[in-house]
Amino acid sequence: MKMLHVYRSEPNDIIKKLVEIVSEDRECTSFNLNVENPDYDKLVDMVLAADKTVCWF
Amino acid sequence: MAKVFFLFDTCTDEKDILDGMRSTLGLSVANHYAFCAVLSHTLAPFDDYNKENLEWIRDMEGDAFTLVPANQDNGLTLISIEELGQKLRDVDFIVPYGN
Amino acid sequence: MAKSLGIFVTNPNNMKHVMGVAKAATAKGSKVKIFFTWKGTLLCKDPSFPALCKIADVYICADSYKKMGYDPINDIPEGLTEKKMSTQSSHGDILTNYECYMTL
Repeated sequence: MKMLHVYRSEPNDIIKKLVEIVSEDRECTSFNLNVENPDYDKLVDMVLAADKTVCWF
Repeated sequence: MAKVFFLFDTCTDEKDILDGMRSTLGLSVANHYAFCAVLSHTLAPFDDYNKENLEWIRDMEGDAFTLVPANQDNGLTLISIEELGQKLRDVDFIVPYGN
Repeated sequence: MAKSLGIFVTNPNNMKHVMGVAKAATAKGSKVKIFFTWKGTLLCKDPSFPALCKIADVYICADSYKKMGYDPINDIPEGLTEKKMSTQSSHGDILTNYECYMTL
């Protein structure tokens, strides 16, 4: 399964741990939305390529 | 039917979590398997409306979990972060709510 | 045809992200449905909301909109119609019928 983790803010320790568990044995990529000018074109390409996307807090 | 898990982080307005429970219930009644978990917020005592929402979520084969032991006083099911992570692996959708 | 995308919006600070993703996805040929609930419905008053409704299929939770202090009968946001003043079932529709999913 291809999984994409999108971060809307800096993840805290709980989120980091959950990401670690759900990512185990899976092909994962990540995208940081918490920047001045996110590359939405790239983000959408990544979402469309993933089997599952999680947009964390 | 999808299996969906709402997550609630610490928030400045507790209504964000309570409304998230309403959204959880909303998917339950739309014939999805809906669950939720409070990650780090200690909730004030539920009023009757929110008690009923919690009961209804369970009646629809869902559940509401908490990593915070104090939230057991409101009837939420205590869960460890490792157990929660394993449950999240099995759902179709993970829904970090609000914030 | 690009995969379809459903977006569930609960955060009132994410209009820039919602617009950015919706524009990029529709430019790639994706069908996009967006459901605003709880404080996300405050974004109906964002100046760019009517433009968003032109590029995506937009629904809001009428009950949440009312809880935010607006009248869901007599104050339907520009860009929406009465039938798009919806319930959580619109979220369910996204989960069931759309290939990709995001929460913002």
